[in-house]
Amino acid sequence: MVTQDWFKIGMSSLPMIKLTDDQEQKCLHPLSFLREYESKWVIEFDLPLVEKKDINVYLDEEGILVVEAKLRETYVDSRGDQNSEYEYFKKGIVLPKNINAKNISARFSNSILTITVPKLYKGTKIQIQ
Amino acid sequence: MNKRKLAKVYRTDIKNLPEKFLLLGFPGNGLIGTFTISYLISHLQMKLVGDINHPDMPPTLFVENGEVLSPIRIYQKDNIYAIISDIPVFPEIASDFVASIAEFCLKSKINRVVVPSGVDTQSTDNKDLKTYGLATDESFEKIMYENDIPKFISGSIIGTDATVILTFKNYKIPLLMMYTSCHPFFPDPQASVAAISSLAKILKIQVDTSDIQKRIDYLKIQHKNLMQETLDALQPEKQLPSKIPPIYR
Repeated sequence: MVTQDWFKIGMSSLPMIKLTDDQEQKCLHPLSFLREYESKWVIEFDLPLVEKKDINVYLDEEGILVVEAKLRETYVDSRGDQNSEYEYFKKGIVLPKNINAKNISARFSNSILTITVPKLYKGTKIQIQ
Repeated sequence: MNKRKLAKVYRTDIKNLPEKFLLLGFPGNGLIGTFTISYLISHLQMKLVGDINHPDMPPTLFVENGEVLSPIRIYQKDNIYAIISDIPVFPEIASDFVASIAEFCLKSKINRVVVPSGVDTQSTDNKDLKTYGLATDESFEKIMYENDIPKFISGSIIGTDATVILTFKNYKIPLLMMYTSCHPFFPDPQASVAAISSLAKILKIQVDTSDIQKRIDYLKIQHKNLMQETLDALQPEKQLPSKIPPIYR
């Protein structure tokens, strides 16, 4: 199953708000998508022009998974006489609550960062009569 | 029944030639069609001969070096035509849009249509890149066999691709869909290199792919907005069942 990331779903429902590249901060908004499995979420980020050593992934106190990556060279977006320069990728995704945060893993291959977030099942046992 | 609103095709310089190919590229899985056709147009130095508009498409124009360009354009060189769309083909207009192109093929006596597209694979390993062919005509089956292009054996096809196949089949215009394994949700120029090589074999031409291979990372960034717009436009289609339904024979 493929769905849009939660962060974008929340923001895109608001009129006139759309996440985009930040010229002032020289920051690109990377493409991402997630697949849901019974036991885990798998989130992929497309990070071209990036080396593994320059990627920083962390889960903040609000439960937002943040991916930051420095480009190995400045990306210049030329439109006519206007040039915009970008040096980073950055994106935050709000994770659901039922996750096993200690066992989140990540790998980087062919410019795609794949983050696996295991689900955590806990609760009250229900007897079957 | 509503009257069909066909897209208007403006032809400016089209010659009648005996055997003619049409290459059709529009944004879809991995933007394979976009990368493949735009690279061939550039590599073969094809000439812009017309454009396509539809009343239900959002009015969009591009300006390049002071020249106004329509997002859906027709190119030609010798017996090869190419139609490329730089905007997603919305499902609501896909049927009319493809029917217009089929009408264009009949008028221009185009007798071979080839459409490069992408197919979702779980692997992102470049060694697994393959192009599969799905033909609606025996002559294309023969060409596939001669060029070692494996047949697309089973799978479900939805959205604009399905509209393309059904329309050209109904119009009895030979069609070859070329499906290259790719990452469906990210621009995949690496996979399009395989698509370009396979298409070159079909057209019996030599195409040097070194330029696109040098610019893989840049192309991915340049096309990320188009990829996002394509996903936004086609998202309802993606929610349809992707597993093959049982077919009783």
